[in-house]
Amino acid sequence: MGAEGGADDRELMERLARGDRDALAPLVERHYRRLYRIALGYLRQREDALDVVQEAFVKVFQAASRWDGSADAGPWLSRVTVNLSIDRWRRNKRRGQTFSPLVEGDHLDVLADHRPAPDRGVLGRESGERLAVALRALPERQRAVVVLRHYQELSLEEIATTLGMSLGTVKSSLHRALHRMRDTLTEAKP
Amino acid sequence: MILAHLRLRRRVSLLAAGLALGRERDEALAHLQACARCRADHEALTAVVAAMERDPLRSAEPPLTASVLAARVLHQLDRAEAPARRPRYWLVALPAAAAAIAAAFLAPMLVERLKPEPRVVTIPPAEPNTLLSEDALARIERNLAREQAARYLNEAGEVLVSVAATGVDCDRTDDRLDMGAAPERSRELLEKRRMVVDSGDAVASAQGVFDDVESALRQVADLPACVKRRDVELVQKDVEARQLLMRIRLMQRELEG
Repeated sequence: MGAEGGADDRELMERLARGDRDALAPLVERHYRRLYRIALGYLRQREDALDVVQEAFVKVFQAASRWDGSADAGPWLSRVTVNLSIDRWRRNKRRGQTFSPLVEGDHLDVLADHRPAPDRGVLGRESGERLAVALRALPERQRAVVVLRHYQELSLEEIATTLGMSLGTVKSSLHRALHRMRDTLTEAKP
Repeated sequence: MILAHLRLRRRVSLLAAGLALGRERDEALAHLQACARCRADHEALTAVVAAMERDPLRSAEPPLTASVLAARVLHQLDRAEAPARRPRYWLVALPAAAAAIAAAFLAPMLVERLKPEPRVVTIPPAEPNTLLSEDALARIERNLAREQAARYLNEAGEVLVSVAATGVDCDRTDDRLDMGAAPERSRELLEKRRMVVDSGDAVASAQGVFDDVESALRQVADLPACVKRRDVELVQKDVEARQLLMRIRLMQRELEG
C-alpha cells in the first residue's frame, strides 16, 4: 500500500481540495492504471471500467476537501472505484446488461494447456467466460474482496482498510467467495 | 473434532489464497494431512486462485493515456460546473414575459376606456439612438465573438474527446473501431470555422489553438465510420503530442473570461 500513498499524494490531494486543477493530471498518472484494473476486474467490461475510473476522479476532485488527510489517498481512491463499480454493476443489472461477455482474444484459453494438476479436476476446459460467470455470481462485497486480493494482490489488512471492513469479515468473505466460485465452476463444468 | 475442523476450514481457504502465514499456515498444513475432505477443498480452491492469477485482465492496459483521461475528467467537471456559472437570464425573462402577457390582456380594455378624440398627431423628427455608445456596441460584439469561439472550441473538444475515448469495435476481425458521429460533426465544425476565426482581434489570442483544432478536425473528418484502430491511434497521438485537449480547455476558459 505504500506505493499508493505517501507525501506526494497528500500534497496533490491538498491542492485538489483548494481547487487546483493542475494537481489532477499527476494524480491520474499515478493511480489510473491500478484503478482501471480494479474496475475491470469487477465489471469485466472495458468501456464501463473506463467510465468508472473517469467518474472516480471526478468524484475525488469534487470531494477532495472532505478527504481525511490523516489517511492514505490510495485506499480511498480504491474505495471510491469499488463503490462506483458496484453502482455501475447494479445499473447494468437493472438494464439486463450484466452478461455481455468480455472478449479478450483467446481469453483464458491458457487454462486448457498450462494449468497445474488441480485445475484439471475443477476447471476442466473452463474458459475465461466461466471464470467471469463465477465472479459475477458472487455477492457484491465478496466480489470486491476477491478482486482486491486476486487482481490487486492486496493483503487482508489492506483490503479491510480499503473496504472499511473488519479483518474477520474480510477473511470470512474471501473464504465464502472462493467456495462459491469453486461450486459455480464445478456446476458449469461441461 | 468437528469444531476444530470448521475453524480450520477457513484457514485452508486462506492458505489457498496465499494469505495464511506463520502459525495459521502450519496449522492449516497439518490439518490437510489429517483431513481428506479439506485436502480436496484445498486443491479445488488453489485451482480457482490459479485461474484468476492467469486472467489476462489482471494486467490489462487502459485504452487511454493518463493525460487524455485527465482531460476528460476536467472536461466533465467543466460541464458539471457550466450551469452554475451561466447568467440567470430567467430572472429578467420571467418578469418580462409576465408583463407582456398582462399587457396583451389589458391593452384592449384600456384602449376602449381611454379612446381619445381624433386629433392631429405631429411626429417629432427622429433622433439618433443615444442608448448605446459606439464603445459599448464594440464591447458587445467582441464578447459575442469570444462566446461563439468558446462554444466552437467546446464542441471541437467534445469531438476530439470522443475520438480519444472510442473503443467500440465495429469489425473485430479487422480490428476496426466505430467512430460514431465524430467525422460528421468534424465536417460541420469545419464549416463553422470561418465564421468563428474571422472575428478579428477579439479572438486573435486563440489563433494557434484554432489552427491545431482545424488540423485535428480535418484528420477526423477524413475518417470513415468504421476505421482501422491504427488510424485512430495516429489521430490520438497527434492530439496528445499537441496537448490539444488541455489547450482547448484553457483557451475556452480564457475566452469565457
